[in-house]
Amino acid sequence: MKLYDYVLSPSCYKVRLMAALAGVKLETRPVDFHPGAEHRGTELLALNPAGSIPILEDGDLILTESAAMLAYLAARAAPEWLGSGAPEEAARIQQWLSFAHRLTASLGGARLHEMLQRPGDIGALQAQGIAALRELEAGLVEQRLRGMRFLASDQPTVADIACFPYVALAPDGGIPLDPYPAIRLWSRAIRGLDNFIEMPGIHRLHELKPEPHVEPGEV
Amino acid sequence: MRLSHGFVRGEALSCIYHGWSYARSGNCLRIPAHPGLTPPETIRVGTHAVEESDGVIWVAVGVPTAQPPRLEGVVPLRSLTAHTGVAAVEAAAGAKAGAVGLVWQAQDAQQIRLLLAPQGDEQTLIHVLLDHNSSLSQRIGASRAVERLRRAAEDLQTKGIAP
Amino acid sequence: MMQDAMIDEWYPVGLFSQLDVKGRKTALMGEPIEVALDAERRARVTCGDGRTLPVCVRYGHVWSSLGKPQKDLFAIPEADQPGRRLVDVGAIRVRCSPLRAVENFLDIAHFPFVHTDILGAEPHTEVQDYKVEIRQKEDEVWATQVKFYQPKAAKSASGGITTEYMYRVPAPTCSVLYKTCPPRPGEWDVITLFVQPLAEDLCDVWPWMALFDDVTPMTDLIHFQQTIFLQDRSILENQIPRLLPLDPGMEIPTRADLTSVAYRRWLKRHNYTYGAQLVAQ
Repeated sequence: MKLYDYVLSPSCYKVRLMAALAGVKLETRPVDFHPGAEHRGTELLALNPAGSIPILEDGDLILTESAAMLAYLAARAAPEWLGSGAPEEAARIQQWLSFAHRLTASLGGARLHEMLQRPGDIGALQAQGIAALRELEAGLVEQRLRGMRFLASDQPTVADIACFPYVALAPDGGIPLDPYPAIRLWSRAIRGLDNFIEMPGIHRLHELKPEPHVEPGEV
Repeated sequence: MRLSHGFVRGEALSCIYHGWSYARSGNCLRIPAHPGLTPPETIRVGTHAVEESDGVIWVAVGVPTAQPPRLEGVVPLRSLTAHTGVAAVEAAAGAKAGAVGLVWQAQDAQQIRLLLAPQGDEQTLIHVLLDHNSSLSQRIGASRAVERLRRAAEDLQTKGIAP
Repeated sequence: MMQDAMIDEWYPVGLFSQLDVKGRKTALMGEPIEVALDAERRARVTCGDGRTLPVCVRYGHVWSSLGKPQKDLFAIPEADQPGRRLVDVGAIRVRCSPLRAVENFLDIAHFPFVHTDILGAEPHTEVQDYKVEIRQKEDEVWATQVKFYQPKAAKSASGGITTEYMYRVPAPTCSVLYKTCPPRPGEWDVITLFVQPLAEDLCDVWPWMALFDDVTPMTDLIHFQQTIFLQDRSILENQIPRLLPLDPGMEIPTRADLTSVAYRRWLKRHNYTYGAQLVAQ
């Protein structure tokens, strides 16, 4: 499986993270998104006329939507990430997978504006981002009341991976996460999963390692 | 760099930037760049008195003169931030906050207790507490009710009609 | 602000390879500017007030100044050495003081916590003593014999090594780092941080590299450096106070911070204060 990848793209990170959690080895093909704009070059437009990344290629199959890539990786290697199939849970997964597009547009738009000088109305993007975070926070509060730590059940699903990156990177777009205690608990639960991987802007949970004991001069 | 970006190992709080760690009393325990150095007493961070009581964490500004008020018969539900001052939240709830917060009579006849903590810069942190006998559906209902209350308070603020 | 000695310095304002005749609107020290190619395909920088600003093209970037630069842009002799790959990393915008961006670049003690498992890792956190001087003839800050254990020092590194660094500050918002070159012992890789001050608390950071590495694809080299810088960005945007304090105040330096101490002293000596605060808070 080959992922056309940009190291700073939260959407590409969704796929790398899902693959790591599902134990799938991906071949990555780095795309010079910035400053080279390679995603709008002829080679990549032939694969994805929309000019976006990530692109996942597996034989004849070419996927250009990250939610589809998460579903494909999970179905191939870790079907528990697709949920139990219970009607309410299945609906919640679809609900949050669709909701993730709003995170991309608002939080992702604010981040691209603040970080890579992409055009946009930053005030409006941030306001839409805050509205989306409040909706996610309310959803997670209700899940906790139901005794569930994740968006669709007590186990993480593709819906959590679809929402996590843009949320965790919201501060890159000037939107702090301090006002959202349920989001922070959820983010911590995801970051603490076995085989979790980071991307730049999401720091290591250093508390998971013990305090080192090193004598001076040992280095 | 705020220490809230950092991490807790055992009883020590560490900064995310250079890993300097601090004890409960605020003194610096460790400077990782200089493992052999015992940090001097002068390196310390400010501390505040903290009490956990009835499921709520209370922080004192300065030296507290009394224990935090008791909140009998209620349990904490959630905390949320409103982009308004305390007055707009009180106006939207139709009640004033006292020492043990504000009792809001929500539309569905539930009584919801709100503890309001002003955050400066026109923001208010709202801690929501409910009767400890409330059912799951009442708790979910209360969580949704305070979302409506926040929207009403922010509307009052936007329209400039908050007191 | 116009009395600031920084007004007469050269600043990066764009990648030459990305210029076109349509131009790119940006800013320099609070002034709107436009960077474009003219009819002869030369870089041209115009200020919002209509003035044509001084221009030079060097190290892949277009450089300009709102004032009258007294000397040529600083030299990086290694940039012309045959066999090096020159890497245009592109701009990353950061809501921080341009001076804070440079100071963070000079710091190694944060590597294990911010660049975990790449430029540093616990328990290898010790910063051994190194040498710092302000070289009078060149009028530059230099730190030498800086050594640090790094799990993955470069894209070409296959395992952990103790890396040696030299840091150089030849201009108030630019730093040049010389670093152990894994494929070519005896040579130094050159990694620079060129900072364009947009405002006192906002900058575009243009990392640039001149490396001995014939193997790693160019895009991987760019992504490695963008990864490192993006790990720094969230730190930089959260530093308090936002402006760099030049007078001793609340911040407590240790031996590991001697480069930063020299940098701040050098800035103050030259009245380079755009993005700085003189009164401690």
